[in-house]
Amino acid sequence: MNESHEEWLARLEKRSHDRQKAFIGGIANRLGHGPMTEAPLNPHRGAPDFWTALEWNTEEKVKRFTDNFLSVGGHVERLASFSDASAFIVDKAKEMDVKIVLRQDEPALNELELEKALPEAEIAVWNSDRDKAWKTEAAGADFGIVQADHAVAYTGSAVVLSSSGKGRSVSLLPTVLFILIPVGRLVTRLGEVLETFDQAGKENLPAGIHFISGPSRSSDIENDLTIGVHGPGIVYALLIG
Amino acid sequence: MSGGSKGGATVKARAEIALNDEFLRKAVRFTTERLRNGKKKASDEQGNWEQWRERGRAIRLHTIAHLDYYLNLFVDNARANGVHIHFAATAAEAVEISLDIARRCGARSVVKSKSMVSEELHLNQALEGIGVEAIESDLGEYIIQLAGEMPSHIVIPAIHKNRYQIAELLSREAGYELPPDTTALAGFVRKKLREKFLEADIGMTGCNFAIAETGSMVLFENEGNARMVSTIPRTQITLMGMERIIPSWSDLEVMATLLPRSATGQKLTMYMSGITGPRRSADADGPDEMHMIIVDNGRSLQLGDPEFQELLNCIRCGACLNACPVYRHIGGHSYGSTYSGPIGAVLTPSLNANVAEWDDIANASTLCGACYEACPVKIPLHDMLVYLRRRKVEDGHGSKLEGLGMGGFAAIMGSSRRLGGMLRLGKTGQRLLLRDGFIKSRLGPLKGWNAYRVTPALPKQSFRDRWPTLEQELRAGLQEMDASVSERLERRLQERTRKDSHGTDSADNSQLNRVRDKQWEGGGGHE
Ligand code: SF4
Repeated sequence: MNESHEEWLARLEKRSHDRQKAFIGGIANRLGHGPMTEAPLNPHRGAPDFWTALEWNTEEKVKRFTDNFLSVGGHVERLASFSDASAFIVDKAKEMDVKIVLRQDEPALNELELEKALPEAEIAVWNSDRDKAWKTEAAGADFGIVQADHAVAYTGSAVVLSSSGKGRSVSLLPTVLFILIPVGRLVTRLGEVLETFDQAGKENLPAGIHFISGPSRSSDIENDLTIGVHGPGIVYALLIG
Repeated sequence: MSGGSKGGATVKARAEIALNDEFLRKAVRFTTERLRNGKKKASDEQGNWEQWRERGRAIRLHTIAHLDYYLNLFVDNARANGVHIHFAATAAEAVEISLDIARRCGARSVVKSKSMVSEELHLNQALEGIGVEAIESDLGEYIIQLAGEMPSHIVIPAIHKNRYQIAELLSREAGYELPPDTTALAGFVRKKLREKFLEADIGMTGCNFAIAETGSMVLFENEGNARMVSTIPRTQITLMGMERIIPSWSDLEVMATLLPRSATGQKLTMYMSGITGPRRSADADGPDEMHMIIVDNGRSLQLGDPEFQELLNCIRCGACLNACPVYRHIGGHSYGSTYSGPIGAVLTPSLNANVAEWDDIANASTLCGACYEACPVKIPLHDMLVYLRRRKVEDGHGSKLEGLGMGGFAAIMGSSRRLGGMLRLGKTGQRLLLRDGFIKSRLGPLKGWNAYRVTPALPKQSFRDRWPTLEQELRAGLQEMDASVSERLERRLQERTRKDSHGTDSADNSQLNRVRDKQWEGGGGHE
């Protein structure tokens, strides 16, 4: 077999196209209609109207988010500014004797100036060096620091979107996770965030969209709640503003 | 080791084994109770639960009624995102494609997150067969994989194991003794599986929902292992049942409202991830290559079948298991198949297109309707159980006794006047069943198909010791239950023949009805 990887993929691709017609045609057949080329009329898109009307003011959103996040074992701090957030993280880092901090590559996180405040620790910036094994780096990190792109009060969730400077691993592999959430990014309902993905269209979606609602958990052993079974066991949501 | 085989025994025999296991019974009852209460609390708190269910059902009905359109849309978009799509009509084909990819990648190990489809395919054995290690990474799945068993609950697979048994299993794996302490045990698994995630060549996931309009896939989980599996290895394979589609992200709000609340009583699982294609070229994590295998494996048999099409609406939440008195009593292993509880009782024979082989599962149900009440997308599972029995007899597979039983049953069902005559007891069984925490089951007209109707709220004596008396006691109430089932069936039958008559989902219903008419004209709705 001298087929290259690309040739193999191309062969599979061709077979997939060939089979698609029969596979989906079979479905149409069983449903009793011919090939459909136009979108069917869909009267029930998304949540019911009574729900989409719900909207809370800022203080209510902050309160609900906080209650939800605390109820699943997360931690929440309300802070006035990014420099307060920096001081909070530095404090925790000293308290826990942190060796490696990994953060996303974002302007707001540069301004935390953790390098200056934590000279003993290694502060790594995601994907700042093309040759580094970043997934392994993340697995070894004590702290992961990310900024949320959105947050949802109703479910107590922070939403992080991936990009070259924003690794999926940073919110997943470190032992402790800090999510910085500017209060202006906090919405009431899940649907307000989900809609933005419909509006963006597939070309503009990142590879990874992650809703994070607290620490990794499991009840698989005797229904006994265990925190941090695979992902971060300690999660701080820092609400800023 | 049971090695995941169904062992050839009937549900009755397997139930006897399960019933002898005191711990299993307690664990199942405790867990299902906890989940059921959690669901009740979460759905009450959400409010307007009936409207949410109705909307969930409408979205699923609409999508399945136009599945060809939405699946095509999904496939085109996913391909445009760089995903390699494969179609598998049968389990064997899906296995073959997976093995081809594993071989091509020169894979030594595959890390997996929970996937019911993968269970359907018995993929782990197949991978082991070509020398590839398959590692389940969900804590509960990992434990039962070490034990060489099958999952006993959709949501909590290892509910039948206590922490001493788990400590023993994990100590064997560790090579040193671990204490029977939950935190220590989970800590060991975390460390062990970290290595596996980082070493693995392939990550394999299931798929909770696939979004047609953007070609994205969505995963719900609490542990973070599905994120690991879809972020770290170079190659990702996603196994997806062909019916997992929803049209848009906006529709996901409805599913995200229904699924976690119904499954575990959570507002949202700790992680909900939307994955759109492999990693972008500038990204430093995410898979280089992403494959999705779209699996039929008997699902299309339900399409166009007026009695079973709604099975495809299932979002695999497990709420019907927690609500089911039989499941709560005998536990998942007694069903002997990938899908257990009421959904398994209907889905398994349906996927296998084999009424004869699997019908004994349907016998293990009470027809009490609790599964329907619990279902977030309102699938009439209890009606389907009745259809299943009828088909078994029609196909000539029923034993003589069961045939007679069905004769009696069909006669009752067939005439509403006779039915009226039998309706003597005032309270309906359903309401009685759902009130005061006790689930009381009633016997049907004949013994043949009601041998496993049990009540989980039994006093100290074991079920089997009590059985003869129980049978006597319960026999008296039989007409009542049958009446409530009959009424429900009648009502649904009316709903189904009354085309386009009611507002919310008339377009999709009429489509379904047309299909149904067609099937009935063709004389019999299944192959
Ligand atoms: S049938 Fe309904 S309740 Fe049962 S698993 Fe499926 S969606 Fe959940």
